[in-house]
Amino acid sequence: MPSAKSVKSCSPDFLLVDNEIKGIAQSNEVLILPSPEAWEKLEWTRDYFSSKPKNGYFIWVKKQVDFPLSTCVNIASPGVKQDLENLMVVEKGVKAAANVVCSSLKMNLSGVHKAKGKLVLKEGSSLSYNHVHKWGEKDSVFPDYEFILGKGASLDYNYLNMLPPEKLEIRNKIACGEKSSSNVSISVNGINSKINIKEEVILKGRDSQAVSRLKMVGRKKSDIVAESSIIAKERGKGHIDCQSLIIDKDSKISSIPLLICENKDAQITHEASIGKVSEEQLNYLRARGLSEKQAIDLIVSGFLKS
Amino acid sequence: MKILEVKNLTVEAGGKKIVEGAGFEIRKGEVLAVLGPNASGKSTLAKAIAGIPGYLVKEGSIVFKGRNINKVALEKRVNEGIVMVFQNPPALPGVKLSKLLNLISKKESGYGESHPDFLEREVNVNFSGGEKKISELIQVLFLDPKLLILDEIDSGLDMKKREEVMEILKERVKKGMSVLLITHQGEILKQINPDKVVVLIKGKVGCSSRDWKKVLETIKKNDYAQCKKCKKL
Repeated sequence: MPSAKSVKSCSPDFLLVDNEIKGIAQSNEVLILPSPEAWEKLEWTRDYFSSKPKNGYFIWVKKQVDFPLSTCVNIASPGVKQDLENLMVVEKGVKAAANVVCSSLKMNLSGVHKAKGKLVLKEGSSLSYNHVHKWGEKDSVFPDYEFILGKGASLDYNYLNMLPPEKLEIRNKIACGEKSSSNVSISVNGINSKINIKEEVILKGRDSQAVSRLKMVGRKKSDIVAESSIIAKERGKGHIDCQSLIIDKDSKISSIPLLICENKDAQITHEASIGKVSEEQLNYLRARGLSEKQAIDLIVSGFLKS
Repeated sequence: MKILEVKNLTVEAGGKKIVEGAGFEIRKGEVLAVLGPNASGKSTLAKAIAGIPGYLVKEGSIVFKGRNINKVALEKRVNEGIVMVFQNPPALPGVKLSKLLNLISKKESGYGESHPDFLEREVNVNFSGGEKKISELIQVLFLDPKLLILDEIDSGLDMKKREEVMEILKERVKKGMSVLLITHQGEILKQINPDKVVVLIKGKVGCSSRDWKKVLETIKKNDYAQCKKCKKL
């Protein structure tokens, strides 16, 4: 088996196609196993899995790694149903980065991707997690992630979905321990899609901080409902920023920021806006020879990636 | 060969008549400078010729290479060779200049290559005034314009950059590009040496002359006061 370091530039550290694991890389610093195997071999993982998983990956970042880990989960055949349970544990004081791609390799596979994930950041650790989704127009996708941040841990989570499925349900739950910080950004391009996003951040430990950014674009009869909440149980700071663009008149976006404060010393805020593409930007790009469609695509792509 | 002919042009913007009965022409490889105080209608005139929506031609015509283009859409005018440098271009968050250049043309301009780090920045995001002008110039040169409209190209540029930009423009003019230069300061005329100058006051063309030095001298002495008394206005 090649080391994770040796495969980082040519293939992912974990590759799943349909329901078959095609490759797992290893290194001294990082242990990667199929989730069912982790359940069997490492008893402590059972504290995190709800039951013995059917499929998925377990990544245990034991020591510092100087390269981003990468996982790739693909649907390549028609009618495939994936039911994954993933667990990633970053040990105390370790800094890690991960690039995670989940996608359909064709537009018309009508696949189902269910991914239940738990990411555990132990005391003083940090994780930069870039999560990219690219789906076919008939797929149904259900990512359900829980992030557990230990004392002083730091999470930077960026989710980008430029090619959405027909149906997308995102569930994110982030529990922030003492002095931990969470910076979460979710960007979704709705194209003829029914999208439901529920994100919940809980400031559980004193002096924890969280910023949640949601960017959504509604195009071609999309119906997007996004609920983002921060619950302050302890003294801490939190902010929610929801920005949306509606491109077509037959799309709908419901943006619901929710703040619940259970501590008088907590400070939590939100802002939300839904608007249309700026005429000034549109005309500027048309003045560079782009068609209206090209200009809108570029503005939307920039909006979601900025 | 006439590249642009503006005849008796009246333009409205925001429901107000901003330009009234303007007329002039530019030949291939010529530079025409439009001078005028603030709010004289210079930018409105430029935007109407470029075809920016919201700048409505109510009377008269814009003839480009012998064809009336009053009803030609903005992007089609660009494809035909009319390209504008904006005075205040908007920011495009998340859009790298290199990506925009790839979309607008596969041709190399030669100018962008000398600014590799700059190309990786987001278009007009946290750009200084001078950087905005450089970004504009890189973009428009990629489009290989036949008529380049420059709206206050000199603002925000330091002397060295201004000279660099003017040298590039003069090279293009030598190769046959025509320029419509909008300016309220006039200092730039010394560097670009236009073939003709037109003075716009309150939306009307007061005078046009091939002797730009004389016009500039008059304006410097009287700050357009003499132009405002012009019998033509």
